[in-house]
Amino acid sequence: MPRKLTRRDLAAALAASVPALASPRAVPAKAEEDELLAAARAQVLKNAGRLAASEIPMATEPAFLFKA
Amino acid sequence: MPAFDDDIFFATASELNQKLRAGEFSAKELARAFCDRLEKLGPRYNALALSLREFAVRKADDVDDELKRGRFRSPLQGVPFGAKDLLSFAGQPTAWGARPYAGQVFDYTATVLNKLDRAGAILIGKLSLVELAGGGGYRYAAASVTGPGLNPWDRSRWSGGSSSGSGSAVAAGLVGFALGSETSGSILTPAAFCGVTGLRPTYGLVSRYGAMALSWTMDKIGPMCRSAEDCGLVLQVISGGDSNDPSSAGKSFYYAPQYTRKFKDLRVGYAPVDFDEWAESSSRPAFAQALEVVRGLGVSLVETSLPDFPYSLVTGTIISAEGSAVFEPLIASGKVDQLADQKQIAGLKAGLDIAAKDYLKAMRIRSRIQQALRRLFVGVDMLLAPARSGPASKVSEPLDARRDRPDAKSRGLRDLIQAGNLAGLPAVSLPCGFDEGLPLAISLVGRPFTENMLLAIGREFQNQTDWHRRRPPG
Repeated sequence: MPRKLTRRDLAAALAASVPALASPRAVPAKAEEDELLAAARAQVLKNAGRLAASEIPMATEPAFLFKA
Repeated sequence: MPAFDDDIFFATASELNQKLRAGEFSAKELARAFCDRLEKLGPRYNALALSLREFAVRKADDVDDELKRGRFRSPLQGVPFGAKDLLSFAGQPTAWGARPYAGQVFDYTATVLNKLDRAGAILIGKLSLVELAGGGGYRYAAASVTGPGLNPWDRSRWSGGSSSGSGSAVAAGLVGFALGSETSGSILTPAAFCGVTGLRPTYGLVSRYGAMALSWTMDKIGPMCRSAEDCGLVLQVISGGDSNDPSSAGKSFYYAPQYTRKFKDLRVGYAPVDFDEWAESSSRPAFAQALEVVRGLGVSLVETSLPDFPYSLVTGTIISAEGSAVFEPLIASGKVDQLADQKQIAGLKAGLDIAAKDYLKAMRIRSRIQQALRRLFVGVDMLLAPARSGPASKVSEPLDARRDRPDAKSRGLRDLIQAGNLAGLPAVSLPCGFDEGLPLAISLVGRPFTENMLLAIGREFQNQTDWHRRRPPG
């Protein structure tokens, strides 16, 4: 399997693997970030409500030890 | 060095192996030619995460020595392939498609890559993906450190996610085959959008040791290839028990489609509503034709539909809760804000708010879904549906933009991707035609560990059609 990576190899690999690092990333407005986070949290609450409304027999165990 | 033309770059893995054994060219020449192509064209589709040329050429030298000595390891010996960049390869960067993990290096190699290495296959590069396999939910195709996955059939279209680079690289003839991974649709979707054949194995059949975790109870690793036959050959190599993976089923897979049941004894469940209403209107003729090809194989087509469950809700809750738990250190460090997609950032943060009772409720409903699907499979041997309702979306289009279609009369098999993943069922995606020059695909889903049956149907479907042999322009 592969040999040990030299620092030169690593630098070359990094340069090849993440070209996007070289370009500045568009910084979204703080308000937009907050809005998206609020929407995601609202969705979690909405989903909790939908899950609570789903009736299943009390004996149903979670698919914990899941095997296909 | 011989001149390699498109017939070589678009050959199946087994065809490449036959040519190597016949001495038409050496493994080193083939590896170099594929590396040249991957490095030249990979960036065109944002498909390349990392070239492994140096390693590949050394490995190819070893393969040539073995071939000279008449040591044949497998039908994949000497075949160049690529791996989704969430599989670790010792000593080389594994970025998981995400800026915060750029430069991350592991000192161990994923089990699937070790198995392919022992079979003589040659890893030539790591392929791009949606950042963190998209676990937080993402809004734009550009949710990756390598940029949006571009479709070789039309670069203004998405290659699908999250195994974007694997789909593009196979479709564009940059690798002989690729490995992808699926939590909920990440192999089937890019396979369908890019016009390649994808296989999602039964949960636990393929070791995930060395793969990025997104959802411990749903992640699977599988092949993306030029044919169903190739998927079977790759699965045979990468399957098997692994004590390093607690989810391992401890089972192996031997590709033997010739020993499956006779097609005339198979019942294939399908829902007319999927083909007549859920599918995009311009895609319906191709899907209808594919249905007739399957019927022509001699199977019995049986109308069916999925039992009524909130599949998306359950899938979303489980992936979100497990994914946010996996990436809790990233979220706590604040580095999560370096991700490319704002919706993904918000989704990962909000996932930490999911209450234990809600996760457990989702997992309890999942138990009911598994039971209901077991009952469904008493009446059918496999399910058939369009893999996606239409061709690839535009790269610039938000992925959550709702397409304007009327409500259909019944559920059909519309949620088959989520249902199949929740139950850990195997699936295969087969190219079945085109809409506006873009590939379409059907998917087949079977009971656990019935990959040979799905691949037998897939192989015969591909004997009757040539959609999987089509090549993208330029």
